[in-house]
Amino acid sequence: MKKLVLLLLCLFMAFSFTATAGAKTLKVGLAADPVSLDPQVQLSGGMLQLSHWVFDPLVRWTQDGDFEPRLAEKWERINEYRVRFYLRKGVKFHSGNTFTAKDVKWSFDRMKKSVDFKGLLEPFVGIGIIDDYTVDVVTTKPYALLLNMATYFFAMDSEFYTGTDENGQPKDACKKTTHTFANDNESGTGVFKIKSYEQGVKTVMKRFADYWDKDSKGNVDKFILNPIKANATRVAALLSGDVDVIDQVPPQDYKRLRSDSKTDLVTINGGRIITFQMNGNRVKAFKDARVRNAVVYAINNAGIVKKIMKGTVEVATQQSPPGYAGYKASLKPRYDLEKAKALMKEAGYADGFEITMMAPNNRYVNDAKIAEASAQMLAKIGIKVNLKTMPKAQYWDEFDAKAADMMMIGWHSDTEDSGNFSEFLVMCYDKATGFGQYNSGYCNPKVDELTIAAQSEIDLDKRADMLKEIEQILYDDAAFVPYHWQNHAYGAKKNFKIKPIINSMNFPYFGDLVIK
Amino acid sequence: MFAFIIRRVIQAILVMLVISLVGFSIKSNIGDPVRDLVGERVTPEERAQMAEKLGLNDPFFVQYTRFLKNALHGDLGTSFIYRKPALEVIFRHAPATIELVLGAALIIALFSFPLGVYSALYPRSLLSRFTMGFSTLGVSIPVFLTAIMFIYLFAVTLHILPSYGRGETIDLFGNGYWQTGLLTIDGLKHLLLPCVSLASIMMPLFIRLIRSEMMEVLETEYIKYAWAKGLSTRRIWLVHAFKNTLLPVVTVFGVQIGIMFAFTILTETVFQWQGMGFMFLDAIQRADISLLIAYLVVVASVFVVVNTVVDIMYSFINPTVRIAGTK
Amino acid sequence: MTKLQKFKESYFLYSFKRDKVAMASFIILVILLILAVTAPWIAPMDPYGANNIDIMNSEIPPMWSDGGESQFPLGTDNMGRDMFSTMLYGLRTSIIIGVCAVALQAGIGIFVGLTAGFIGGKTDAFLMRLADIQFSFPYLMLAIFIGAIFQVVFGVGSYERLAVPLLIIIIGLAEWPVYARTIRASVIGEVNKEYVEAARIIGLSRPTIMVRHVLPNSLTSVMVISTIQIANAVMSEAALSFLGLGMPVTKPSLGSLIQSGFEFIFSGSWWITVFPGVWLILFVLVINLLGDWLRDVLNPKLYKG
Repeated sequence: MKKLVLLLLCLFMAFSFTATAGAKTLKVGLAADPVSLDPQVQLSGGMLQLSHWVFDPLVRWTQDGDFEPRLAEKWERINEYRVRFYLRKGVKFHSGNTFTAKDVKWSFDRMKKSVDFKGLLEPFVGIGIIDDYTVDVVTTKPYALLLNMATYFFAMDSEFYTGTDENGQPKDACKKTTHTFANDNESGTGVFKIKSYEQGVKTVMKRFADYWDKDSKGNVDKFILNPIKANATRVAALLSGDVDVIDQVPPQDYKRLRSDSKTDLVTINGGRIITFQMNGNRVKAFKDARVRNAVVYAINNAGIVKKIMKGTVEVATQQSPPGYAGYKASLKPRYDLEKAKALMKEAGYADGFEITMMAPNNRYVNDAKIAEASAQMLAKIGIKVNLKTMPKAQYWDEFDAKAADMMMIGWHSDTEDSGNFSEFLVMCYDKATGFGQYNSGYCNPKVDELTIAAQSEIDLDKRADMLKEIEQILYDDAAFVPYHWQNHAYGAKKNFKIKPIINSMNFPYFGDLVIK
Repeated sequence: MFAFIIRRVIQAILVMLVISLVGFSIKSNIGDPVRDLVGERVTPEERAQMAEKLGLNDPFFVQYTRFLKNALHGDLGTSFIYRKPALEVIFRHAPATIELVLGAALIIALFSFPLGVYSALYPRSLLSRFTMGFSTLGVSIPVFLTAIMFIYLFAVTLHILPSYGRGETIDLFGNGYWQTGLLTIDGLKHLLLPCVSLASIMMPLFIRLIRSEMMEVLETEYIKYAWAKGLSTRRIWLVHAFKNTLLPVVTVFGVQIGIMFAFTILTETVFQWQGMGFMFLDAIQRADISLLIAYLVVVASVFVVVNTVVDIMYSFINPTVRIAGTK
Repeated sequence: MTKLQKFKESYFLYSFKRDKVAMASFIILVILLILAVTAPWIAPMDPYGANNIDIMNSEIPPMWSDGGESQFPLGTDNMGRDMFSTMLYGLRTSIIIGVCAVALQAGIGIFVGLTAGFIGGKTDAFLMRLADIQFSFPYLMLAIFIGAIFQVVFGVGSYERLAVPLLIIIIGLAEWPVYARTIRASVIGEVNKEYVEAARIIGLSRPTIMVRHVLPNSLTSVMVISTIQIANAVMSEAALSFLGLGMPVTKPSLGSLIQSGFEFIFSGSWWITVFPGVWLILFVLVINLLGDWLRDVLNPKLYKG
């Protein structure tokens, strides 16, 4: 009898144990889902998010903007051109293979061939294997941002991706438009293993039993990812309890998620600058710095932040967000309607003029609304705006063609560094080098010179001074209209502790998520 | 009859040719598909190379003849975003829409027949007036508004029904093509709100149709004769009158289901229902032009088939309708 | 007997007077039409003038709730436009688009329907297949297509000015088969009747017979369809706006207003959702109710395919 009671008790204990520590499921509703399982096929936010779940980088960003060792345990700079990484031992891939230096090299070489990544990898010569657990990363010139770039070095399982698949295609093929092996097969070292993947519908992941990071407090066993594109539906899915976490909460719904007793709203700075560019090649007036200044003075970006973005983002005066090397704290917001009118008069445009404006309506947070509010504000200094907003698929074509006098562009630095903004947004457009690829008209040789010089300056203080000087020139020149740095807004049920695992790169580390 | 069908098939092929031609001529206005395939960092030169490789830079005529040649072999192109044959992508999304439309059709049939017949028999009763008023209100509310109100009420406020998507699905044939939500409780729960929303725009039409048909039949000599013969009320209403109402109603029902199949875009968008309408909108937003053209051709063929079947049915029901080629 | 007297004694007016719903709908419709026509004079502000709008006034609640201002009786929308004025202007825009688009539909549809029904044979088959093509081509695609052509022809700058004619053409082209099919069906029904035979025997030309004799017999159906089609056109415009292809954001129609309302449904700023929604539903509802009544009075069998 006693034995039976004991047995029952044991069973009960075991049962209650499994019940409390039982499988925790996380259901996430994201605005977009990964387009592939191949981490190197496309450089986009969604793909990088997936890479952090299923693969691991050498190092990764922490919430405070520091580097955290992942597959590399430690690293040291050998000389100006070379940094040595010491790799973690005993790491397993999902396939069961052991992770070594050859996987790092193999993944890097494959990435170097990817259309999307090869631009980013331009400063690199390659990776040299020292021994099974040591690699050297070598650059072509002194390069200050080597560690920033190491956050992109995700390790793929070289054995798993070698050979040919059943269609006779090489398994390591990295193609955008045809079906490849890597498109729906994966073997990474990451915390989640793909259980099923149906693009645009659902991705189911399970926690990888042999995951190396035993210190992680994360307790998500099953991770279900659903794309929910429509904003209102995504918010509804969280409010109704159908999903546990959502991203891209529209600002107008912040209040609701904050006040709801079951949900939390968490926002974090995203560092994506939102701007309007003025095309001096299309409108003569925009060649005049006074007119550009008048436009900047006329636009109440603080008002837009307060009303359209609901006050959760910081008003921008420059490209670099606070914390970046180039951020210059002395630059202040400039809304002043009277001054704007005076400048217009001074430049000889007291009666104003008429311009066209284009903005996407599904690319940035409330993009079309920002454009509309700007049109209202410009009307007050006599600039009549003909505004057209459109989906991003059409917008990029128009942007490339520089089809309107003012065009909206948002930019997030791939390297989390100020120089990247200038290279793409304000350097004079040069077809050969690709600089100024997203610049519609502004050109100042001094800015170009400083930006190029900053690239290979490894004295960080000197470099910061150069980057700050660029911001000052752009500010005085009114090279663009700055609005704000877009943030990332997540909504979650109260027992899903989302706050510690998000960061300004927008890579939520769901592997470390704690469900209470 | 045979000649008629042959003629219709030829016409159908012509229709699809025209539609694919129109689709082809506007595809450059949808946007640049390469843009969605690459990150924002990729240089214009590399994008141009990709476009070249995809054959997007070839002259219109070259692209179109290539499309036709492949179409003859049943290949309508490869979807850029799914990296799979466009037809396969469409067939994978079709079951979701079919289930949605079937569900809506079932709701329509269950409610519109009794309500329509009732309001024909007792036009002055309270229920009839209520039904008619309510159905007019139903057609006056945009479907996306109905849908979001349902979500607000049943999902967000009352927490009794899910807010989006298809829920748990079962692979019907084991090959991944037909994921059905009809076999799980969760799947059926997910089906309810979208179906009711979709039904809300079609239901009023059917209630009215059944009512007017039934009223008309009740006025006929045939029914008067039945009364005179002394048949029971129930028998006259249900057997004589209703049976005669049924035929035209079923025909219209068929046509409308066909139309519904192609026009579920709004409902699918609000509920994030992964069907063909959702896929279509996604393809537009991401400029997946080969998927778009394949979609247009498929929808057109569904339409032509439905119309042809209806015309044939008409000729059986009502011999006075001329069918070209049967003289 | 004068026409007026004739009308006064007609069954039409008699049944109208007896139907309270129809009378109420008619009165509301007339009020709405007057409001729409006089919008520029009675609206407190011009919501289409970028000059008058200040983003700092956005999302002010209606005057009777906390934080409301008497300057904005029904509150303001997310852009700082006076809700009441915007609804008046939006209704005006939607009515213009609806009525003109239906006129276009009816024009094309009647012409095609008459021709197809009367000539028959190959022409009939061709025109009806054309209708099939039109019907199976989602109007979303049509909207993108025509929009792109407009942009190429007139340039980006004119989009705001041309949005109304653009939408009229899109909605007008999208639904003409509705008319064409109905007219064709009724022509086929009429064409073998004695009076048409008689007209033919006395040597009237085909177009004359069509327009003078057959068409008037189909006009009741046209009238009934038109009421429903106007309601449909307003809804289509709302749907296009919902998908981001409607009126430009700076000149909101009822549809674009509803679309903003859709975005604000969970925001707590309920007036942005509720007022335009009720406004549109009210407008479409009274048209539909009048359409129902018309159908009951004139009793054509319309719903047959």
